[in-house]
Order: sequence, then C-alpha cells, then structure tokens
Amino acid sequence: MYDKKVIRRRRAALAVLLGLSLILLTAYFGESPSGVLHGVQRGAQQVLAPVESGASKAFKPFSDLFNWVGDAFGAKGQNKKLKKELAATRAQLAAAQSALRENQQLRAMVGLPRRPGFPQGTNPVAARVIARSPTDWYSTISIDKGSSDGIHPDQPVVTGDGLVGKIESATHGTAQVTLITDASSAVSAQIMPDGSSGILRPAVGDPSDLQLDFIQKGRQIKKGQAVVTSGFQSSGLQSLFPRGIPIGRVRTANPSEIQTYQRVHVQAYADFGRFDYVQVLTARPPGVQAASVGVGP
Amino acid sequence: MIVTGGSIFRTGLLVLLGVVIQISGLSQFHVLGASPDLTPLIVAAVALWAGSVPGAVTGFFVGLLLDLALGQNLGSSSLVLSAVGYGVGRYGELRDPAHGLIAIPVGAAATAGYLTAFAAVSFMLETAPSISALVLRDTLVTTILNAIIAVPIFGLVRRVIRPVLLAQPAGRRRRAHTRETGPIGLRGLEV
Repeated sequence: MYDKKVIRRRRAALAVLLGLSLILLTAYFGESPSGVLHGVQRGAQQVLAPVESGASKAFKPFSDLFNWVGDAFGAKGQNKKLKKELAATRAQLAAAQSALRENQQLRAMVGLPRRPGFPQGTNPVAARVIARSPTDWYSTISIDKGSSDGIHPDQPVVTGDGLVGKIESATHGTAQVTLITDASSAVSAQIMPDGSSGILRPAVGDPSDLQLDFIQKGRQIKKGQAVVTSGFQSSGLQSLFPRGIPIGRVRTANPSEIQTYQRVHVQAYADFGRFDYVQVLTARPPGVQAASVGVGP
Repeated sequence: MIVTGGSIFRTGLLVLLGVVIQISGLSQFHVLGASPDLTPLIVAAVALWAGSVPGAVTGFFVGLLLDLALGQNLGSSSLVLSAVGYGVGRYGELRDPAHGLIAIPVGAAATAGYLTAFAAVSFMLETAPSISALVLRDTLVTTILNAIIAVPIFGLVRRVIRPVLLAQPAGRRRRAHTRETGPIGLRGLEV
C-alpha cells in the first residue's frame, strides 16, 4: 500500500519528535531555574499573559453561570455544613480572642513585640489568576502581577481562606505560583493551640488531603484543630513563610501510620480548584522566623 | 496535508487558540470536579483528517505550548501528545473510518490515552507521587466530557484545515458508488 520510503520517513518523523521531547525533558531537568529553557518558558508566559488574561475574562461570566448551576445542587447540604462550621468558628474565635488578649498581656510583660494572629507588615499585593494547570499532576497557577509589582520568587501566596502556595518564578508582568498541593511542596506547620509542629506535604493527586508528618506520637491531636504555618529559625535556613498564616484544620490523626511519629491529615481552608484572586505577601514581617522547607523539582 | 505557509498558519493558529482557550477558559468549567480538555481533541482531529505525521507534529507543538504556558516540565506533554497524534493518524490511514460519529470514540480514546500516558510520565518524573482515586475519577470524567464535545470540535478543526488537505477525508466522502440492480431492477437478482 505504501512504499518503504514513505514508511521510513513517517517513522523517522515520529522518532525525531519523540527524541526532541526527551531531549527537552532531560535538558529542562538538568538545568538550573536561571537556565536557557526556563528563560524561554518565562518569556513565553510573558508573551501569552495578555491573551490568557483576555480569554480568562471573556470566559468568566459563562463559567460562573455554569458553575453556579452545578453548585446549586449541593448548596443545601453545604449550607447546613457551613452553619455548623460557622457556629464552631464563632466559639473558636471567642476563645482565640481571649487567648490572644492574654497572650498579648504576657508578651507585653516579657517585653516582646505584639504580634496578632496573622503576620503584620507583609505588604500584600492582590493578583488575578490568569491560567491554571488542567491536570492534578502540576499544581501551578499563573497570576497577572510580576516583578514590576514587587513580586519575587519564594514569597508566600494566600487567599482569603489561608495559605495556598509560594511564588516559583516571576517575569515583569506575571508570576508562576506553586501550590502547597504540589508534590514538590513542603511547609513547616503547627497545630493550634497544642503547638505540635511537623512538615505538611500533599498526597499528590488529592489536593484536599494534606498530610502533616513528624508529629510526636504521644500528642493528643483532635479533629477540627487549626493548622497554621509555624515559622522556625535554624542556622543556615532562611525563612519563607511568616508564622501564623492559617492553612487548614485537622481532619484525622493516625498514630499507627508511622512508627515513631504520627501522621495527621489536614483539610485545607482554601479551595484550590476555585479561587480567582490571591494575595502575595511581598514583604517579610520584621523579626518573623522561618517556616518552610520548599523543595524544588 | 500540503505543507505551505497557509497550512502552517492555519494549524498554528488552531494550536495557539486551542491551548489558550483550554488553560484560560475551559479550565474554569467544573463538572464533578473535572474540566474538559481541548488539547487531545485538537491533536486527534488534525491527525484523523490530515494523517499521522501532521498529527504527531501538531501534538508536539500543542504539548510544547502547554508546557511553556503552564510552567510544566518542558517536553512531558509534547512526548505524550506526539504519540497520541501519530497513533490516531495511523488509525485513520489504516482503517479509513467513514462513520459520521467516529469523532466520539476517537476523541474518547485519544483523551483517555493522553491522560493515562501523561499520568505515567508524571509518575516517573515526580519524586514521591501516589495515585489516588481522584486522578482516576478525573480521567474518567474528562474522557466522558471530551467524548461529548468531540463531534463539534472535530468538525471545527476539519473546517479550519480542509483547504490545506490533499484530498477530502474519507470520513466525509460521499459514497457515490451504489450497488447495481439486476436485470429487472431489483437488487440481488444480478445475472
């Protein structure tokens, strides 16, 4: 049916394309973030940003309408659940305010600076999400603010609900955010008010399940306890996330999963599939210690 | 497909628009937690109408653009989509499918193949990933959604690249040849 020349050319074309892909993959993994391919990638993102932004805005009304119809089906059950959560949150808030006041008095007594729950002086910059990965394997988003707005790599990114990730790279007008649900992410976190600290990592492919490891086995962890960034200072480690950014709440604790330590499953406050706006904390609060161990691919 | 400036422009525009609409538009639509994915459908449609080599080349550039725009590992999507484009193109060349609804099984197979292969590549590249039921559910839902939108997408792609195709694809060719009748005008009574 086909002569051998055609078959050879066809197979050669496929081999060239697959070979090119493998070369790209290998070179990309092998180079540093300031390498040529990463630079090309940042350039492409900057060029595509206006188009992505326009398309995102154009589709927004349709997606809102579409998602609203879908959401309406689950709204009743969600409403009931949210009411329960609101009641619990109010009780927690009252307790937290009381504790905060007491804490402030104690801090004042020992002469430490006053620091309310959320880190102050972080100079947040609001940004719009203009692109997001369609797969569960790459938990990244693009935002429409970049280095010209004071955004630089490793700055924390939050929504109204809590911590969602950190800046991976920034161009003049856009930035790439790696979410805390990405396999490469690891955040030092603390369970409140117990104070147990551990490393929060995602179960890849299930963004709703964050796992807090290295919690000492003897600690009594209860469902619903808040989890926040812990912030720590250690020689040689530079801080990424300021202390006190809310992350989520304890869903389950399973002491038997790891021999020496227990693993705590955390439900993130933020809905990683839905948010359209984020805030980048562009300034480091004075005197706040480290809390993150970000591990790049 | 005839490789000319026009064919490259048309296919390039199709690829660019497809990727931008996917990452900035369709990714906002959620059905059971998943979104439709335009990229394997565009690659499969080009491959089905234009052949295996144009399909593989389109797959490579769709993947490349996707990886560039989303900051993913460069080459991972290209690797998978090139293979998907080549596979669908070979199917079209060997089987010469004629059914008007061929877009549905081809679109579903291309999507399922792409998502599965992409998951496998990601699994090999990541440091410590674990496959959860969520990934399997998303793969299934995306495949079903893509099967639903495959017919209009394939039609649209065919309309865009039709002027640069070598010949009308077999799938849309009118079957002019009809079976001859017998001497008294009835079929089955040929002498």
